[in-house]
Amino acid sequence: MAIIKANNLIKTYADPDSNGKKFNAVDGVSLSIHTGEIFGILGPNGAGKTTTLEMLEGLKDIDAGSASINSIDISKNPYKVKEFIGVQLQANEYFDNMTLSELLNLFSALYNKKNDSLSLLKKVNLTDKANSYANELSGGQKQRFSIACALVNDPLVLFLDEPTTGLDPQAKRSLWDLIMNLNNLGMTIILTTHNMEEAQNLCDRIAIMDYGKIIAEDTPRELISKHAPERQKEVVSGNMEDVFMALTGHGLRD
Amino acid sequence: MLTQKQLYLTKVFIQIFLRNKQYIIFSLILPMVILGIVAFNEGDEDPIDIGIVDKSNTILSQQFISRLSENNLFNIIIKNENSLKDDLISGKLKAGLVIPNGMTAKSRAADIKLLVDRSDIQFIQTIQPILNNSLLEIERELTKAEPLFILSLEDIKSRSLSYINFLLPGIMAFMLMNLSIAGSGFNVVEFRRRGILKRLFVTPIKPIDFVTSIVLARMAIVIAQLTIIFSFALFVLDVEVVGSLLTFYFMIMTGILMFLTLGFSIGSLAKSQESVGVLASIFIYPQLALSGVFFPVESLPEFIHPIAALLPLSILVESMRLVANEGLTFFELYSNFIGMVLWIMIGTFISTKLFIWKEVAG
Repeated sequence: MAIIKANNLIKTYADPDSNGKKFNAVDGVSLSIHTGEIFGILGPNGAGKTTTLEMLEGLKDIDAGSASINSIDISKNPYKVKEFIGVQLQANEYFDNMTLSELLNLFSALYNKKNDSLSLLKKVNLTDKANSYANELSGGQKQRFSIACALVNDPLVLFLDEPTTGLDPQAKRSLWDLIMNLNNLGMTIILTTHNMEEAQNLCDRIAIMDYGKIIAEDTPRELISKHAPERQKEVVSGNMEDVFMALTGHGLRD
Repeated sequence: MLTQKQLYLTKVFIQIFLRNKQYIIFSLILPMVILGIVAFNEGDEDPIDIGIVDKSNTILSQQFISRLSENNLFNIIIKNENSLKDDLISGKLKAGLVIPNGMTAKSRAADIKLLVDRSDIQFIQTIQPILNNSLLEIERELTKAEPLFILSLEDIKSRSLSYINFLLPGIMAFMLMNLSIAGSGFNVVEFRRRGILKRLFVTPIKPIDFVTSIVLARMAIVIAQLTIIFSFALFVLDVEVVGSLLTFYFMIMTGILMFLTLGFSIGSLAKSQESVGVLASIFIYPQLALSGVFFPVESLPEFIHPIAALLPLSILVESMRLVANEGLTFFELYSNFIGMVLWIMIGTFISTKLFIWKEVAG
């Protein structure tokens, strides 16, 4: 059953390169994402991935088309939709002078909920940082904390915008494990990424976007067989990342 | 009715502010120091050093010098002409008098030269009448002439107001403006730039929740800071306030609301942290000069008065001053209150029109 439905979404902006002209950053995107699936949106920079996500999250107005999450229209009831989605943003900035526990309590209060901040931090391996400030965290810790913030309302759908960008291989693998665990608990996850390996390993289905349109959508296996059926002649059992991981280990360094 | 979300966010904004101890200390120290200096300087003023060259060296010239020496405003230093000029040029002395040769009771009017920097208009305006008066008194003594007119001052309100009474409401209003603008305009731009607004708005809070919380938090913070300054003035500097504290604080609260909405407008107009600084300077500095914070508006050129009277800070300063020093009631100040309400409406209109909450993500 589709938990997210989007029909012909359009987002229009003024074209910065030509005076008075407009262009569609998202140009007729339709999606149907099933409950419990990990759905990936791939595409080069400026393809419209984040804008599509932000329209689904109720952060940006939908100029044309319609979208619903759990059968609730996002344009008509954005605040209702926000109650059962969790969002991890590309930027991970928080109020200064507030500890991670305090920030989690704040975000819980914004959903009228009370949470045990330590158990949320435990989910993302940050219990020892409960009394640290967010600006003292490393990149990987910030991303994990960002996911903890997105979990305060126990969401049905989790949006992750380039969750592993800038992370070292250990932090990246740890985040993948976390995403898989959340998905195993029944959470529907939509993520954008530039990392093909991430998309291939994590996603049940993938939509590839370019110039605001979806140019391909299927399972990773089907996409490969349709668009890159030729195997490379020199087949190796792993890649450089696997070598690096084998040599340096899987343990988190931060 | 306030929601739990709004109250929690208000608590968080206050908590964040209280943890910024450096900001709190600096924002309190400056007004306290200014008020303290003014209060402790309100006794006898330091005498002005005046160098005198007595080319005449007659009984009359000696009499003139001794009469000037009796005046507490002056500290007379006898010099020769060259050293007087050197001291004036180097700035060691601000004024010098040269008594010409042959100053006697029988001679014609002696042309006593006052050597000053002509650009120092305020100083000349102060010193010239006093010197003229001293000369007139000596002349009357010699000619045995009685003065025809005497001008004496009588305070119709039978109370003693000094500069500190004038300054206190001005400093408080100026501090209120700065703290409110920083709390709304600067915060909004900074939160937007860092993506904190976006993070807040992925949760189900509405812009009204955010604005209400900022307004409540800032209201509490500014009132607390002003109360510290006010208490310092009342209990340490012994400043007297004749009006109702309730009216005084009502005007303060209206003023905070006025500058918060105007601050939100500045934050909505500005696209970056740099431009919010420039816009805030354009908003703050002309008001500092024209709103009678440190000097009465009446000392400004006549044509500026109508413009100055419309400025939000002028309206607030005048209201606070009239309550504190003249004891005016709210009903006597209703036109000022309406003026502030109009500014609140202008600020609200601009900020709601220009700040597109949905697009904070962008």
